[in-house]
Amino acid sequence: MVRFKNRYVLCEVVSEDPRCRQCIEDRALGLAVRDAIARVHGDYGLACCSISFTVKYLNAYTGTVLLRCRKDSYRLLCSALPFVRHLESRAQRYPCFLNTLHVGGTIRTCQKFLIQYNRTQLLKLLQNCTNEEERQCIQKSLLSCSLTEEQSQSGDEEEDDGTE
Amino acid sequence: RNSFTVCFSVGYSAVALNHVIDFKEKKQEIIKPVSLSELFPSLPIVQGTSKRIKVLTRLTLIVSDPSHCNLLRSTSANIRLYDIIAVFPKTEKLFHIACTTLDVDLVCINVTEKLPFYFRRPPVNMAIDRGIYFELLYTPAIKDSTMRRYTISNAISLMQICKGKNIVISSAAERPLELRGPYDVANLGLLFGLSEGEAKAAVSTNCRAAMLHGETRKSACGVVYTVKKPRKVEEEETAVPACKKAKTQA
Repeated sequence: MVRFKNRYVLCEVVSEDPRCRQCIEDRALGLAVRDAIARVHGDYGLACCSISFTVKYLNAYTGTVLLRCRKDSYRLLCSALPFVRHLESRAQRYPCFLNTLHVGGTIRTCQKFLIQYNRTQLLKLLQNCTNEEERQCIQKSLLSCSLTEEQSQSGDEEEDDGTE
Repeated sequence: RNSFTVCFSVGYSAVALNHVIDFKEKKQEIIKPVSLSELFPSLPIVQGTSKRIKVLTRLTLIVSDPSHCNLLRSTSANIRLYDIIAVFPKTEKLFHIACTTLDVDLVCINVTEKLPFYFRRPPVNMAIDRGIYFELLYTPAIKDSTMRRYTISNAISLMQICKGKNIVISSAAERPLELRGPYDVANLGLLFGLSEGEAKAAVSTNCRAAMLHGETRKSACGVVYTVKKPRKVEEEETAVPACKKAKTQA
């Protein structure tokens, strides 16, 4: 079958600074990743990886990022991801790092993984909950998250930012 | 301390606290490791399973002179308190001694400067037989570009000699942002010339085996665990190098 095969890499942006999460944008992240690839693999690596490179999905509340690249060059991308050290946006530099969660061939598999991952994260948050309201809120969202047709993106994460 | 919380959230199941001792100064006494209950009132749980995270203590000795090795043979009580002992040889002779006769678990490979000596096959093969692991650090590679070149060149020359066996990749992170998740570290192993299966092993099974090696070293030479079934296969694997070590020493 003649079809371009892509790989979708699911990452999480981890940072100490709470302001960093709010100003994650797709352009800034794309630039940071390209810069890291250029530093590690040089011009050849950057050219190879940027054939079909985009940031497909970005969630600023949880810091989840979905990147797409060609199947032939996903190894170059994955091996350069640990070298991302900071994000720059609006003339501010935030130190952070990317934690790779899952590499999949389609967006749907990455989505399934993300739902399960968020479910475990919610469970962990449930343990650290302090008051009853938050607890009930989390339990409700745990029971309701699933891969349905229209709710596929928004049903995933409903977390309390305060406890993050 | 922050680094630990980040580690746990990222998915590691065992972390070792390192204490470095440099022998250039005159008198160095090995102090007791920091007790764990001071740091954490309760250890958090590993993601995905319901076991608690293990925190181990580890000692690194920077040796540049054969007389420093005597410290390892002396039965200083404090040395026994550390779970893992690593040695960082600076010359070829010391590398040979560390691989063949010294009683350590890990041999650190320098990544911050060009190696003054080339690796040779006999001591490396003896180390592999004894169950000693070679350690590479990845945090200097993240920080600085020249260090990255040295890291990669030293790592690849090591791979060519040892064929990717017995490698452990670890971070010397001082700040929590210099840490990377286990999947990312396995991808870094690809850069160092490991194959994908070997890179994943460098983060998971080799580390576990090094920990068990440390435990056998602490207890006695040649202990066979008789633990119940699910763990039995693994204990048998690491009881074998301890027996071999007893043979070479006897």
